[in-house]
Amino acid sequence: MQASATRALIRVTIATGAATGGSNLPHVKIFVIGAGQVGATIVQALHDEHELTVFDLDGERLAAISQRYDVHTVEGNGASRRVLSDAGINGADLLIACTSRDESNIVAAMISKACSARTTTVVRTTNPEYLEVWREGQLDVDFIVSSEVETAYAILRTVGVPSARQTDVFADGQVQLVEFDVTAAADPAILGEPLREARTPADSRIAAIIRGDGVVIPRGDETIQPGDRIVVIGSPHAAQLWGDLISPGTGKVRDVVVFGAGRAGTAIARLLLEQGIGVRLIEASRERARLVAAELPDARVYNATGFDPDFLERERIADAQVSIFAMRDDLKNHFAATLAKVHGARFTIAIVHDAPSQEVFEHAGVDVTVNPRQITAEEIVRFAHDPRTQQVVMLEGDRFEVLDITTQRDSEYIGLKFKDMPIRGALIGAIVRDGKAVFPRGEEVLRPGDRVIVFTESQRVAEVEKAL
Amino acid sequence: MSPWRPRSAVDLAGAINLVATLTKYLSLAPLVPAAVAVGYGESPWPFLFAGAIVGGTALGVEFLTRGNHRIGSREGFFVVAFTWLTAAAIGALPYLLSGEVQLDRPIDAYFEAMSGFTTTGSSILVDIEALDRSLLLWRALTQWLGGMGIIVLALAVLPRLRVGGRQLLEHEAPGPEIDDSLAARVRDTARRLWLLYIAITFAEIVALAVLGWTGIDERMDLFRAVAHALTTLPTGGFGTEGRSIEPFAATTQWVIAFFMIVAGTNFALMFRALIRRDGRILPRDEEFRLYLTLLGFASLVLTIELWTQGIALGEDAIRHAVFQTATMMTSTGYASADFAQWTTLTSITLVGLLFIGGSAGSTSGSVKVVRHLLVGKLLRREIDETIHPEIVTPVRVNNRVVDERTLRSVLSFVLLYIGIFIIGASLLVLDAARTGIELGPLDAIAAAATTLANTGPGLGFAGPVGTFEPFSDFSSFVMIGLMWLGRLEVIPIVVLFSRHYWRNA
Repeated sequence: MQASATRALIRVTIATGAATGGSNLPHVKIFVIGAGQVGATIVQALHDEHELTVFDLDGERLAAISQRYDVHTVEGNGASRRVLSDAGINGADLLIACTSRDESNIVAAMISKACSARTTTVVRTTNPEYLEVWREGQLDVDFIVSSEVETAYAILRTVGVPSARQTDVFADGQVQLVEFDVTAAADPAILGEPLREARTPADSRIAAIIRGDGVVIPRGDETIQPGDRIVVIGSPHAAQLWGDLISPGTGKVRDVVVFGAGRAGTAIARLLLEQGIGVRLIEASRERARLVAAELPDARVYNATGFDPDFLERERIADAQVSIFAMRDDLKNHFAATLAKVHGARFTIAIVHDAPSQEVFEHAGVDVTVNPRQITAEEIVRFAHDPRTQQVVMLEGDRFEVLDITTQRDSEYIGLKFKDMPIRGALIGAIVRDGKAVFPRGEEVLRPGDRVIVFTESQRVAEVEKAL
Repeated sequence: MSPWRPRSAVDLAGAINLVATLTKYLSLAPLVPAAVAVGYGESPWPFLFAGAIVGGTALGVEFLTRGNHRIGSREGFFVVAFTWLTAAAIGALPYLLSGEVQLDRPIDAYFEAMSGFTTTGSSILVDIEALDRSLLLWRALTQWLGGMGIIVLALAVLPRLRVGGRQLLEHEAPGPEIDDSLAARVRDTARRLWLLYIAITFAEIVALAVLGWTGIDERMDLFRAVAHALTTLPTGGFGTEGRSIEPFAATTQWVIAFFMIVAGTNFALMFRALIRRDGRILPRDEEFRLYLTLLGFASLVLTIELWTQGIALGEDAIRHAVFQTATMMTSTGYASADFAQWTTLTSITLVGLLFIGGSAGSTSGSVKVVRHLLVGKLLRREIDETIHPEIVTPVRVNNRVVDERTLRSVLSFVLLYIGIFIIGASLLVLDAARTGIELGPLDAIAAAATTLANTGPGLGFAGPVGTFEPFSDFSSFVMIGLMWLGRLEVIPIVVLFSRHYWRNA
């Protein structure tokens, strides 16, 4: 519930931007407080379109960033009024506070507001309590992005479609984007058949096939091979069907085990329970277990470490369709995940706090890794993008992006039939017309005002935005 | 003359002082039957003398124990326990002074008075109808006043002493004691609930009186309406007829059954439902739902048994089943029929109901439904924990988590209750053997259970149309003890017997 609240608010703001009919926004001046993982990811995504100033107390981190990107850097405390005003906060359009300390972020945003009322403030937080206080209007911050809640939401989407590698939603859930790893176990109806003839689910399109290092935007004669990674854009129902085709035999998820009932684990459990999915929570601290058991009456909470093979066997942890590892420590998550897989866990999702460790986890056989910082960065980047671009999703570690753009009147694509559209390293997966999602067949024509879900390479984003 | 102050961890003088104050107020009560006596041409003197003696003694003790007293939780136990003992003494005086032959022995008078203030309703009278009306009214009044005391006890005093059933369900945070916060808390709660109590009593008087005036019930008159209303609300059961409620019309029996069920409901919950005009407050309460379910189920069992055994048919069967179920569960003790003559199954069912009780926060006695609810949930969790040793499951009632300490205290209470019952029943059996009265095992169980549960009628000779007279003085003494223990929910009295209570160690 919390996640959808943040998303709804995000969309409201950006939609008003679209209503005023802004053209492609020129340089937005953005202050980024914090050059850690989240900050660096944000800088990477925004540096070429906008004017960035990055603040951090650590000179070395700043040096690393200024060497790679053309941005201003300030070595100083982003929560200091003097530092901000010296750097020209009054001229900034957007301030993103994304250090690892919630309190610093909030203070930085509030001081920014005090100095310059026109600067929109976005705060990153890990404490869901601040999110609640903010939603009640008690915090003078424009937007809050909660790592825990966004991570939980991301995991929820993955759990909903277990065979997918990453999923995202657009247009209030009407359009889903799913990435699948195709194996030989997939349904033969889609393997090796030319797409033109293959019986793929209706209301969906394959946006791209990633084969090795190359991306293919498929035409009708393309086939899907084992080892491919495909990106599908379609309706939620179609996504479910694709899931069944890719890994036949996995039904709807009913039972999930979550290791670790910290803030992340609890947020995940809460979201899952709201979807009617049964959750078993495993928490090592007795105190914490009791607290969470009192908070979540529908969850089954166990006071155990998750490292005890006897416990795993006895409680048939492996019977759960999905096992989620959300402990605070990457090392513990890794060990527990491996142990669980040894005991037969079917599908594992792990929260990985350190991006480089993701490879380690994938090598261990963990099916999906979720990096809270990446997800947080994604959310934050939204605010800086073209306001007509309502949603940004980063795939393949930033090689590709999926955009949700409203077409302009003077776009050259208006009036063209979809089958006639020239493909410039981009594919339109779906359109949203009058609030309803339409999955266009060849004869469909693009109209002004249509919202378009476009799959494109990151480097072509600006082109695509201009074209539309 | 300086006030006497003994040295102990308990401010005994202070406690006695408070008891004396309460007694002082109680000494005004005999004025009511005195007035009634004058109205019916009977002698008011027993009541006036009793009032004077008690009032005078109370004032004297109050004076002797005057001074700066700190009445805290500790003193609360003593006050609660002794108020009932002295109240029974006050109740007994008019009986003794009245010259009524059935009540001229102190132990008998005390038994009857204790049965009054504890709202039990067991009687050593053989011929109820031979009593003066003023005396009958006094009997009824002792129960009605006892009921008022119970409400305050159950909803204000005991929760602060961390006893009783209801603090489990409300957010009764005990909190720090500021001055005599005990007295202040009592005053607030008492005022509100007494209003409700008086209002419902009045409603029943009106209902019954109307039945009499309209001729629906020829036996009902204003006096009887008042007497029965005064004893239904406290779930007492002291009637005016030798055969309890049997002589009255069917409609009257239904009306009394209804008010018994109301009296067995949580008064605080009813108050809240009325004040907020929210009809859903009651059905949302888990205890209330279980209360009604048990009433329904037991009624069904009895109906079927009565019907199939040919004891009653049609509406009679349903009415008698519901009435007897309600009376035994809410611990009232009225009877619409002589159920001692029914079958073994009904006896066992009715004695079983003695161990369930009404809702917490009502005037009912016995274990009370909320405790059964908690024990049930606790047992379910135990089994769950046996299957899943690591599972952590808080017990919830009305969606609120119940803390472990409270659960333990509920279990302790249930064990104590059963233990005391067994001791009581054994003593009765042994004493019966000694004195040669005929008391079978089920009858002994019934007698012990009914007095401990403050219900009233047992089986055998002490059945609903019978009497407790044949019991020896020793047995009477045991049963007085059981009534006292049951009414005060056992623990305050047991605490008084603990060394830790009197010393600082």
